[in-house]
Amino acid sequence: MESSERIRRFWNSLGQQRIALWSLTFILVVSLSGFLAPLLAPYSPGGFEEKRILEGPTRHHWMGTDQLGRDLFSRVLYGARVSITVGVGTALMALVIGTLYGLVSGYSGGVVDHFLMRVVDIFYGLPDLLIFILLSLVLGRNIAGVLIALGLVTWVRFARIVRGQVLQAKELIYVEGARAMGATRLRIVTRHILPNILGPILVTLTFSIPAAILAESTLSFMGLGINDPYNEWGTSWGTLAQDGWRAMRSYPHILFFPATSIFVTILAFNFLGSGLRDILDPKGNR
Amino acid sequence: MVGLTEFDKNLRPAPVIAKSWDILDGGKRILFHLREDVTWTDGKKVTAKDFEYSWKRLLNPKTASEYAYILFDIVNAEDYNQGKITDAALVGVRAQDDFALEVHLKHPAAYFVALTTFEVTYPQRQDIIEKFGTRWTAPGHIVSNGPFILSSWKHENEIQLKANPNFFLSKPAIDRVEMFMVDEKTTALAMYEQGQLDFIDNDSIPIFEKPRMAKLPGFKAVPQLRGYYYGFVTDRKPFHDVRVRKAFSMAIDRSVFPKILHGAERPTSSWIPPGMLAHNPKIGLTYNPPEARRLLREAGYPEGKGFPQVTLAYNTLEDHKTVAEAVQGMWKRNLGVLVRLDNQEWKVYLKKLKTDPPHVYRSGWGADYPDPDNFMKLFSSLSGNNDTRWKNPQYDRLLDLASKEFDERKRKQLYDEAQRILCEIDVPIMPLFTTTEYTVLNPRFTGLEVNSMARLILRDVKPKGN
Amino acid sequence: MLRFILKRLLHGLAVLWVVATLTFVLMHVTPGGPFDRERRLPPEVLANIAAKYHLDEPLIKQYGRYLRELVQGDLGPSYKYVDRNVADIVRDTLPVSTALGLMSLAFALLISFPAALFAAYYHNSWVDRGSMFLATLGISVPHFILGALLIWIFSVQLGWFQAGRWGQVTSVVLPTITLGAAPAAYLSHLLRSTLLETLGEDFIRTARAKGLRETVVILKHALRNSLIPTLTVLGPLVAALITGSFVIEYVFAVPGMGRFFITAVTDRDYPMIMGVTLIYTALLVSANFLVDLFYSVLDPRIKAY
Repeated sequence: MESSERIRRFWNSLGQQRIALWSLTFILVVSLSGFLAPLLAPYSPGGFEEKRILEGPTRHHWMGTDQLGRDLFSRVLYGARVSITVGVGTALMALVIGTLYGLVSGYSGGVVDHFLMRVVDIFYGLPDLLIFILLSLVLGRNIAGVLIALGLVTWVRFARIVRGQVLQAKELIYVEGARAMGATRLRIVTRHILPNILGPILVTLTFSIPAAILAESTLSFMGLGINDPYNEWGTSWGTLAQDGWRAMRSYPHILFFPATSIFVTILAFNFLGSGLRDILDPKGNR
Repeated sequence: MVGLTEFDKNLRPAPVIAKSWDILDGGKRILFHLREDVTWTDGKKVTAKDFEYSWKRLLNPKTASEYAYILFDIVNAEDYNQGKITDAALVGVRAQDDFALEVHLKHPAAYFVALTTFEVTYPQRQDIIEKFGTRWTAPGHIVSNGPFILSSWKHENEIQLKANPNFFLSKPAIDRVEMFMVDEKTTALAMYEQGQLDFIDNDSIPIFEKPRMAKLPGFKAVPQLRGYYYGFVTDRKPFHDVRVRKAFSMAIDRSVFPKILHGAERPTSSWIPPGMLAHNPKIGLTYNPPEARRLLREAGYPEGKGFPQVTLAYNTLEDHKTVAEAVQGMWKRNLGVLVRLDNQEWKVYLKKLKTDPPHVYRSGWGADYPDPDNFMKLFSSLSGNNDTRWKNPQYDRLLDLASKEFDERKRKQLYDEAQRILCEIDVPIMPLFTTTEYTVLNPRFTGLEVNSMARLILRDVKPKGN
Repeated sequence: MLRFILKRLLHGLAVLWVVATLTFVLMHVTPGGPFDRERRLPPEVLANIAAKYHLDEPLIKQYGRYLRELVQGDLGPSYKYVDRNVADIVRDTLPVSTALGLMSLAFALLISFPAALFAAYYHNSWVDRGSMFLATLGISVPHFILGALLIWIFSVQLGWFQAGRWGQVTSVVLPTITLGAAPAAYLSHLLRSTLLETLGEDFIRTARAKGLRETVVILKHALRNSLIPTLTVLGPLVAALITGSFVIEYVFAVPGMGRFFITAVTDRDYPMIMGVTLIYTALLVSANFLVDLFYSVLDPRIKAY
């Protein structure tokens, strides 16, 4: 199949997945407004207005104000880019490490493959949350630290999937006789294996993003999330939700808006993921 | 359990097992006279030997107790704990007979009797500990002497106590107490509101719910002997300059803290907390933004210009975060200085204070014993907890004089002078507020108390109407 | 078969050893120690504690000591809970987590099997879309929000279930649902897609051609052949569920082992960190082993490598 034909078919099928399409639109809008937060936010994400503590939503403060009188809408906007960056960044990092690892392992086969897969077994054997917290304590409490810590515990998923796909693709290649025709290794990988595993990788990537956002919010729940209010990269949605979590009874708005942002965004990524899987990976491999 | 003494309403040690004590040799020797009618739950009498054993066990290096230092005022106690001497008989505590306990101190210490209110100085039974080893505290093994007996203990979950019918003062009015260990405050509060609990305190009340709790019947606010402060690391630029420290302290409006923490925190500019001898609200720097800006200009940073990047560190906890963010906001507004917040997990935080201190750090101090000595010594040159790295021989000298002074009026004057150095002249710290414990007791009961050192006293709980 | 079991056993032990080593190194690299307190302990007191727990020895020696004791089945003392051993704590808390985990698993299976079967049977209908929509919701809510919401609705407002006090009939419902929601959703998705895949295979067409009722085809032929992918994920899932979840145990005051995956770290309770890690890994390795064993029973073509 020609690649332009592939892409056309992909967009056609995506058009049929209405929920996935809406989700993609939503994600793009949220990401864009997050990244344009300095332009869009009506107020600074930091500050302290003792006269405006915990006001409900009004015309001036669409989402109300938080425990220090800060505009919640602005904080949620800034939070969007932190949370989405963590999600996407982690997933991409895991993707790069995992794909390379899986390619090497699957393609080499034999002893190398065996050894590399035993390493993966070990990573799988570690309790993620515990290791994640230890790592983030070693690496530091900022966006980079959280990103690296999360990436280091999630890459193994990609490694396994990619290896599995490579093994399948390899059999196909033998059937097609690409090897026999004297193709170089690099050519086999780029021309035959990569296109075949692109779909499953994209699906896994889409599902990894919400998982990372969820993991960061769990970390925030324990008070270990990203937090520095004046810093434009300083407060994640998870931290905002954690701030509001214990106010659920008396001041529900400071939980409602951040929690809904997390929930709807994760939902959108998951819908997008399901849609992509139906298109790219009809056999339901993961 | 009960010990030699307990605090009365004015936080002075009052007799319990000790019926009286003599202070001899100018304060260097104390002789406790014990009641003869106090029994253990297995019927044996509580004797001075049980105290001697317990205190020596506390000091024994093999016990490796974290609280061994509490008794370091006793002759040879520190050397024994450090292994410099191995003969426990040399430690200055001895049962003269069954009901007289003699303590030799290295130096006069007016507060020593108050230390015997602390649980780690309570008596222990040598025969029981030797019989059961590390399991001597298990229900069925443990032998105690208080108003309640441990009847069941599911670790990290639930403790049950039953009334001790032979308690020497009088059998408690309630038969049974159940205590639940619930980590999350909102869950504990939900349990109270569902009627599963009869008593909750700060550990069970999320800060946002405090105003609602204050309206409930059975609510009580108990001011605590616990100060909350920010320390300046005085050997780090630019906080080596006292003008900068003063400016930062004067730029904080301390009256906001009860608002943002939703409780009855008491703003303070001085260090010795209300309720303690020598508390003096007139001492300290008060909110004065123009003066703060003037000082900062004088130090070379007009309107905060050219001020280096500095870090305010606090450990992870919702209240600390709220306070730190409010302080950050007030400094930004009043001084034009934006400090960086560094929020660290507890153990990382403690490590950093020692090895890589931030410019400004959050800390607090709760009284071990309700004497100003305990609060003020925190910032002495020898204190292991003085992370400001500030040292002032004059301050040390005043504390030393005060600890040996038995006249309360003179003592207060000495502490006033020392507090002025601490909070007005040298300003290594800025006190922010003292904390308050919120408690709610099911109105069916009376008499459950939390004292100002956050200790729960169950002895006098009664159903209402009895 | 015996060779296979022996090989897997050795492999499992090797994984445990490497995991132990990695965790040991990582936790000692992490700043802060178990006896760092707000109220600094005097150096002599610290020295006594360090000596008691052998923390004054070089790390390599501590490592050797740990492994030696581990081989003898001793997980060491807890630094945080005085006079208690890690093994005692695990003995008290693991059964609680396991009970909760198994209930959640049962809940997840009870929800996901019917949901997936209906969705597959009525493929592309509103039943299918509706149940998959719900399943996606299920994997999108953070535990702490779901838990708080359930407590607010069912404990505070309706008063049906208890929020804490683990062990009563009314107190196990909410944590079970909260913990089971995500696995239920995940399994529904997985089972549905494997069912659909199987339904497209030749032998199903043959069965249908033979005139068998669709219900029989799905329940007897398709379901049976769709179990293998489900089993694959069930291994790790069970290991994770029965060792407990920090958030759930924290929110619902469940006295389980899950909390130690976090509190052991925040307390720097080294033996506890090692203990829970090793138990988790051991359970995971055994679960995977059992799954592979099942494989070879279910489908003799698969050689369990």
